[in-house]
Amino acid sequence: MTSHNKEEQQISPEEAQKQRDFQEEAIQHINALYNYALHLTMNPDDAHDLVQETYLKAYKFFDSFEKGTNCKAWLFKILKNNYINKFRKNAREPGKVDYDQIKDFYHSIKDAQSDSEDLNAGYMKSLMHDEVYQALHGLPEEFREVIELCDIEGFTYEEIANMVESPIGTVRSRLFRGRKLLREKLDAFARKYGYGTEE
Amino acid sequence: MTTMNCKKALSLMSAAVDGELSEREQQDFDQHITWCVSCAREYQESKKTKHLIREKVVRFKAPESLVNSILKLTDSPS
Repeated sequence: MTSHNKEEQQISPEEAQKQRDFQEEAIQHINALYNYALHLTMNPDDAHDLVQETYLKAYKFFDSFEKGTNCKAWLFKILKNNYINKFRKNAREPGKVDYDQIKDFYHSIKDAQSDSEDLNAGYMKSLMHDEVYQALHGLPEEFREVIELCDIEGFTYEEIANMVESPIGTVRSRLFRGRKLLREKLDAFARKYGYGTEE
Repeated sequence: MTTMNCKKALSLMSAAVDGELSEREQQDFDQHITWCVSCAREYQESKKTKHLIREKVVRFKAPESLVNSILKLTDSPS
């Protein structure tokens, strides 16, 4: 809390309204942003920083957010840009995956989460399997990204197209090819867990 | 009667899975997969893949320290 600063700090009515609007519109998406950041960085500390910086930027430029549009999509776009600026320049090549790193990440985050009692039941119910995670992260980045945005985050094609700065037709074909590739990787896993040829 | 062929149906496959087709496209697509076994199978497989991802990829909760640090941003005196 910043209570000791509060008495001295006077803010304008406009700023107070901005803070209320930001809380109402933006804060609710923090879990989705954190998950997206985790998938991009595969590192909890980096994800933490990335989300924090995203919210700092979002708050700073909140005046440019068009009310009534999708705030989650707007935040994702900021996070993605941040990620590119911050990590991609010296990052691994897309499509090259270090499975040990993935495994370490998966186990560290699973352990870190398992002692939290206040977890939303939905999060825990759908426990990730290493195989799905590895398969997803084994995809070339342009496929993985649209699959995550569509299947995990539930964005529309128009929103995804805007985020990845590609036409909707490209989003469609990446999703089609990405899911096909993923399916090949998941075949063995799917049979093992009863996601075989029958629905 | 439909004019949709397999090439067109495949190009619309992901949009069909995601409910992103226009009404007209949806009609033509549905008609196509009622007689094309191969596209119908591809459609079912794509839907299962999407379902699998949604089911099996875990969603984490943002750490409390992160939530608190962001709430501080908008912690105004009232």
